[in-house]
Amino acid sequence: MHKVRITLFLLMAAAILVLALIAGPRMINPLAMSATEREILLSIRLPRVAVALLMGMALGASGAILQGVLRNPLADPYILGISSGASLAAALGLLSGFYVFGRSSVPVSAFIGASLVSVLVGAFGWKRGGLWPERLLLAGIGLNFLFSAVLMLLMSLSSDEGLRRAVLWMFGDLSMADWTLIPSASIFIVIGLGIALFRSKALNALILGDEFAYSLGFAVQRERLILFAAMALMTSASVSLGGTIGFIGLLMPHIVRLLLGADSRLLVPASAIAGGAFLCFADLVGRSLMPPLELPSGTVTAVIGAPYFLYLLRKKDVLGV
Amino acid sequence: MFSAYSGPILELDRVSFRYPGAGRIIDDLTFAIGGGEFIGLLGANGSGKSTILKLAAGMVRPDRGIVKLWDRPLAAYRNKDRAKLLCYFPQHLDVSVPFTVREIVGMGMYPYDIPPAMAVDEAMDTVGLLDKADVYVTNLSGGERRRVFIAMTLIQGAGILLLDEPLANLDIRYQIEFLRLLRRLQEQKGISVVMALHDINVALQFEKVMVIKNGAVLGIGAPEAVLTGPMIRDAFDVSIELRKAEHGMYITHEKWF
Amino acid sequence: MKKLFIILSLVVGMSYSVSAAEPALLPTRIISLSPATTEILFALGAGDRIIGVTSFCDHPEEAKKKQKIGGLSNPSLEAIVALKPDLVVMTTDGNPQEVDERLRTMGLRTYVWTARKLAELPDGIRGLATAIGASAQGERMAGEIEKSINRTRYKVQSTKKMNVLYIVWPEPLLVAGPGTAIDDAIRLLGHVNVSAKAKTSYPRYSIEELIREAPEVVFIGKGSGMDMQAVSQGILKKLATVPAVRNNKVCYVSDSLYRLGPRVVQGIEELAACIK
Repeated sequence: MHKVRITLFLLMAAAILVLALIAGPRMINPLAMSATEREILLSIRLPRVAVALLMGMALGASGAILQGVLRNPLADPYILGISSGASLAAALGLLSGFYVFGRSSVPVSAFIGASLVSVLVGAFGWKRGGLWPERLLLAGIGLNFLFSAVLMLLMSLSSDEGLRRAVLWMFGDLSMADWTLIPSASIFIVIGLGIALFRSKALNALILGDEFAYSLGFAVQRERLILFAAMALMTSASVSLGGTIGFIGLLMPHIVRLLLGADSRLLVPASAIAGGAFLCFADLVGRSLMPPLELPSGTVTAVIGAPYFLYLLRKKDVLGV
Repeated sequence: MFSAYSGPILELDRVSFRYPGAGRIIDDLTFAIGGGEFIGLLGANGSGKSTILKLAAGMVRPDRGIVKLWDRPLAAYRNKDRAKLLCYFPQHLDVSVPFTVREIVGMGMYPYDIPPAMAVDEAMDTVGLLDKADVYVTNLSGGERRRVFIAMTLIQGAGILLLDEPLANLDIRYQIEFLRLLRRLQEQKGISVVMALHDINVALQFEKVMVIKNGAVLGIGAPEAVLTGPMIRDAFDVSIELRKAEHGMYITHEKWF
Repeated sequence: MKKLFIILSLVVGMSYSVSAAEPALLPTRIISLSPATTEILFALGAGDRIIGVTSFCDHPEEAKKKQKIGGLSNPSLEAIVALKPDLVVMTTDGNPQEVDERLRTMGLRTYVWTARKLAELPDGIRGLATAIGASAQGERMAGEIEKSINRTRYKVQSTKKMNVLYIVWPEPLLVAGPGTAIDDAIRLLGHVNVSAKAKTSYPRYSIEELIREAPEVVFIGKGSGMDMQAVSQGILKKLATVPAVRNNKVCYVSDSLYRLGPRVVQGIEELAACIK
């Protein structure tokens, strides 16, 4: 029974991927392409879908990990302030004309910002030799408010153009996606995913509670730290690729839990796949709804994600309450 | 199995501990648990029962003294090896994630690289939850949930179960059910059970109780020997006498109020 | 040795001049990525060669009928490439830099408009005109604008300097600050833009500060399809004490100066007419 569901799930994800490549706003038939269409497919659509896939995978997996580590079904990588920290760093980079890494300067600053915030959250969440879920959550929320405030201050003081660019970046802009950042981001995301997959058992045990995790033979604080680091790595890479796109980390684990159960060994990779497919789909919708106007993918995920999340809340199984 | 071994399996030797910022709560504590023993750790709230269990489990490290498992320092064990021998059961079971019974029981395999001796189905059957194998743990009653975790410890194969007030908030029916289950496990598999309690009536059911006050042992032994009037007064600050009734059970004899 | 050097420099020189004269191929499929450049292209007579514009390109009327390829800050790469243009005109004032880089890596020709100030407009027009092979029209247009600017400069030599305020939108109050064509026009006319001290081009200005600056003339630019007289009642009431409002020197002008394009001359004349 389970295998059937998994197969269907994978097939659907694959179908969405293919659709994202060949559909909207113009259908491209890969078997009969003109030179222009081939150009569009390879230079524009392919990197765009690749970025969406990578980001979605990173965020989906991060959400699954975080919800387990924090034992909180509302946990999302962005709740911990990682997105506002990254946005602040990106905005600073944009407005100060930081150009050391050439065209990749803004993504690199976003990555640095996200990583720094993760470390900060970890530092505030640390006490007596370990990371504590409640402290992490509170520290993250607090830092989120702080960085958002500083960001708003910065934006109110900045020029129109810098402002416009910063805002556009934050909304999750995949329209200029190209191959430059994909290799380095992929490495980080693959490493993060790998760590998480290898430590799925520890994640399951952590969900049962620190005592049971200890009783089952895990070094609780160490496992928590490793999983947190993997999550931070993936989220930072994702933010550097395409800005802040919300709801994926929050929503995908819940959907996968409904379909395939809560076992982390399945939940983490399935959330990754679901996230990748969902973002590809959101990007497809964003660019196909009112062509040639392109809605930022972050907006689409929010518009689809928020109502669906509220709907999910009505199903008791999801939260166990 | 373990009951053939006559020496102590888990020992606390002159253990002292206090939480940072608190007064000394455990001071120079020594006791041992043998194979197949069923011990009740009785004491008022805040008497240090939980802390003693955590020290015994190795969840907290003593400031002084040593905890030994099978005559080796507990701290020297690798986490997974210790998990195969010793199991800790917290007071609060907080499972809001929709794991199925089977999934949780299966987690008992985690300390092992090879499949364990007992199959998951057998463990679920032993606790009477085989027919609910695929039910979400969130849909079970409190008593059933505890049984799920007991089944998990069966898979874990630990010889010692340290349980922190497992009967709290259970109706008497489920308390009896739970105790009977543990008794079966003790008899069939030779598991040692140490259970923290603060209900004197339950403690009377045990063959061996250890009375705790302020982190120190007031007495160890059979309930009729240990739970005398003065002892209860000292440990619980209340004046109640115990009397023998039929079937060798003790009941309190005067009206409480 | 000397001969070799001469030959080499000739070859290098020729290759440079060849690339400078690049627009030997007349672009016939032009995409314009900003309203200002669209207007200029139409004014240069290249309107029928334009195959794509942004959703904001609304001048002249014919521009509205052209194929849309997205917005100013987020044009659709796909739409641009699908139209197979042979020249894409973009601006540093509004288009993302990445668009230029991406299009060039895909082998498309681009022209980047860089003029931001009024003084740079004539040369900017000349440059764009050359790029599309309309040098003659470009020269004519640029020349007219220069003449107009010089005429205005000469005429205002003897006028008294006045404090001027240009309101782009009444609520929330947005005024034209430094770096805008409007600001350039005001200074050309020999007056002082009271919001010139602001840091951004279209700052949100404090009303108190404005009252203190006491502008003697207030312009209110045309919004999109709105009755500006109606929406500006509120702000004018608040500014009732400034000289401009007391002396009834409040003029409603068109949006000709909003873009650095062919209508700036008209815009300057509007401002001048009001001040008299």
